[in-house]
Amino acid sequence: MSEYVVEMKDIIKTFGQVQAVKNGQFNLRKGEIHSLIGENGAGKSTMMKLLYGMYPINSGEIIIKGERMGEITPMMAIERGIGMVHQEFMLVSELTVLENIILGFEPRKGLRLDLDKARADVRKYIEEYQMDVQLDKRISQISVGEAQRVEIIKTLMRGADVIILDEPTAVLTPQEAERLFEILENLKSSGKSIVFISHKLNEVMQISDRISVMRQGQYMGTVNKSETSPLDLTKRMIGREVFLNIEKDYGKVGEKILDVQDVWVSSNKETSKIRGMSLSVRAGEIVGVAGIDGNGQSELVEAITGLRKVEKGKVIVCGKDVTNKSVKVIRGAGMAHIPEDRNRMGLDRAMSIRDNLVTVRVDEAPFSKHGILQLSAQDAYSEQMVKEFDIRPTDYHLPTSSLSGGNAQKVVVAREVSMKKQLLIASQPTRGVDIGAIEQIRNTLEKAKKEGSGVLLVSAELEEIISLSDRIIVIHEGKITGEMMASEANENNLGLLMMGGAKGGAEHA
Amino acid sequence: MSFFSIMSKVLNLSLIYASFRAATPIIYAALCASVTQQANILNIGTEGIMLIGAFTAVTVSYFTGSWILGVLCAMLAGVVIALIMAVGHIKFGADICGIGMGINMLALAITKFLLKAIYDVNGAFSSPQIKVIPKVSIPFLDNVPVIGTLLNNWSLTEWFAIILIIVLQFFIFKTVWGLRLRAVGQFPEAAKTAGIKVNAVKYRAMAISGLIGGLAGAHLSLGYSSQFIENMTSSRGFMGVAAMYFGGANPVKASIGCLLFGFADSIGARLQAYGLPSQFVLMMPYIVTIVVLAISMAAQLRSAKRRQSSLN
Repeated sequence: MSEYVVEMKDIIKTFGQVQAVKNGQFNLRKGEIHSLIGENGAGKSTMMKLLYGMYPINSGEIIIKGERMGEITPMMAIERGIGMVHQEFMLVSELTVLENIILGFEPRKGLRLDLDKARADVRKYIEEYQMDVQLDKRISQISVGEAQRVEIIKTLMRGADVIILDEPTAVLTPQEAERLFEILENLKSSGKSIVFISHKLNEVMQISDRISVMRQGQYMGTVNKSETSPLDLTKRMIGREVFLNIEKDYGKVGEKILDVQDVWVSSNKETSKIRGMSLSVRAGEIVGVAGIDGNGQSELVEAITGLRKVEKGKVIVCGKDVTNKSVKVIRGAGMAHIPEDRNRMGLDRAMSIRDNLVTVRVDEAPFSKHGILQLSAQDAYSEQMVKEFDIRPTDYHLPTSSLSGGNAQKVVVAREVSMKKQLLIASQPTRGVDIGAIEQIRNTLEKAKKEGSGVLLVSAELEEIISLSDRIIVIHEGKITGEMMASEANENNLGLLMMGGAKGGAEHA
Repeated sequence: MSFFSIMSKVLNLSLIYASFRAATPIIYAALCASVTQQANILNIGTEGIMLIGAFTAVTVSYFTGSWILGVLCAMLAGVVIALIMAVGHIKFGADICGIGMGINMLALAITKFLLKAIYDVNGAFSSPQIKVIPKVSIPFLDNVPVIGTLLNNWSLTEWFAIILIIVLQFFIFKTVWGLRLRAVGQFPEAAKTAGIKVNAVKYRAMAISGLIGGLAGAHLSLGYSSQFIENMTSSRGFMGVAAMYFGGANPVKASIGCLLFGFADSIGARLQAYGLPSQFVLMMPYIVTIVVLAISMAAQLRSAKRRQSSLN
């Protein structure tokens, strides 16, 4: 038997005409944490889904514990000790935690499900690895971090000793991520082998033993953590160096573009999610909104952009009172909006890149005349956008569902920014996109500002807020807890305000 | 006659049995729809499966003189129809509502055609040679008041309906098969990664649904009545689907919805004797269907909202 529990050699996988993996190589030693990194669309998730038998490979070789595999099904992978925690949790939200854990290999007593035995079995793992979960809650009632622990227990219950985690920290708070890393260390020390898929270099550097890099479906090499650095990994991932800190240019600030006056908004479950918020954005500045996710950022953006009812207060865009007006009226007043969830709000995934690019202006010349679509004008425009924003693939007739996260987001950004509106609302503009796209999207926002737009930037990435904004507003539980110039901001004083601390926190930093 | 004296004549003990009796064909239909709904397949073809079952039951019973064979063949016919739907939907990805409506129209036309071709009659076929599902008579109950009126002389399939409700409830919520069925219905990807063969589960659900749908038809033509009439299901299949929605595909709750239909049906029939225009009586089941659906849809919207907010 070789030194590896899993070996994947010369893997090729295509979906239709898209080659997702061109030259995939991967191996895993027993008892190591091996990170697989790369930009979105680099093929790292695909590689692991192939190992787990979610799709068949086109060619190549997969060897699990010395056994050369032909076709693999998820059941075969499970039987050979492979477990996978998917990026989107594979949990049935209306079933209980316990039912989800045992699904697929349920203990029985006669005809019945033997839930008592199941409970006893699960307890062992909960205790051994200190993964507290509430077995009788439904999945819809538990937190994301807990759901992830449920997924890990699921794999262990199936006897997994190779556990694949697909971007596990993307959905976690920093505290939950730390908690996850402790669990992974526990698993490793009990002899489990772990594959950690990520594009967050600091996390990878924290927990890996070895790191493999992929770029555009190609294997770019494997290194020991001790022999590499974030800079080296970045170069391997994108083939060049990036500078995420954009040169900041405090330009001339003009008149008020957005004026939010004492606004109160309800969320889906709480009344008064936002309680009396006032803020303004001027022409030629980027105002960053920092805060822990779920403290009213989404509701604030929705209230400004006409997607959510304002209970009290006023929203003024370019001097026009647009409180509770329709989206069309607000856009007409001079607003563009990059929504936080591109798949749900930003794109029609079934429609083409071109259709998505022109969609908000399809009733205007030159895209239509007297209600008739002018397809040649739309094509010309799409051609230009695809080139200018480096959208790949360049065939703008493809549906946006075929794009990687970064390229899909570029479509949204291209549409909204190219209208050159006075006000640009950018909500989580770089969430879930790769480093190359992050750099480009940030440059685009910076350019919009230089050309005189006012930008309201909402982001969960503090580093993004600090490096892009001129002025930063911090919110906590629906209220503004502080405001400062970006030049005086750092992770400490912002962090304090995000926890609801008084403005005095800035002096301690 | 005063209102109260009418009411006291209408609302008597035998109304309870009458309601249940009127409800049983709909209960079978609701169970037929519930099984597939748990796998997230809306079996709108329940009506057609039932009608074909009813025709098959009468025909086999007429020619063989055996009600048991009639019922079994009806169930078999139900499975065949359900599997046709399943292949179209699962294998070829056709819209289940489209196939279901197709099956309903086919059932209506083919039974009409066969009625003419085999028996050379239009509209209805009855004959003393049709052997019906026997009634369970318990002689000593004849003399027991209340219980006798309530429980004696039920048709065998009426008793079986109660057993089936309980059995399905148990299987859906307490067994491995049920857990997998619900998982497949709610999140097929999760079931697949858990190593469950999603399509096999769906095919099985459709086949079981066909068995129950065929039985529903046999009960209608051999238990509830003793003849075949063109379009004799008269939307009972759809009412079953409505009751399934009302009960959220839960067999017990869906059956309670069916009792509501049965109650409306039999009370209407009685009121007719006291001068309620027959048009109103005929409208009754449909009005109740609309009301029941409206209530259950509103309840569903509320719970969907609750679910959504808990995800945020």
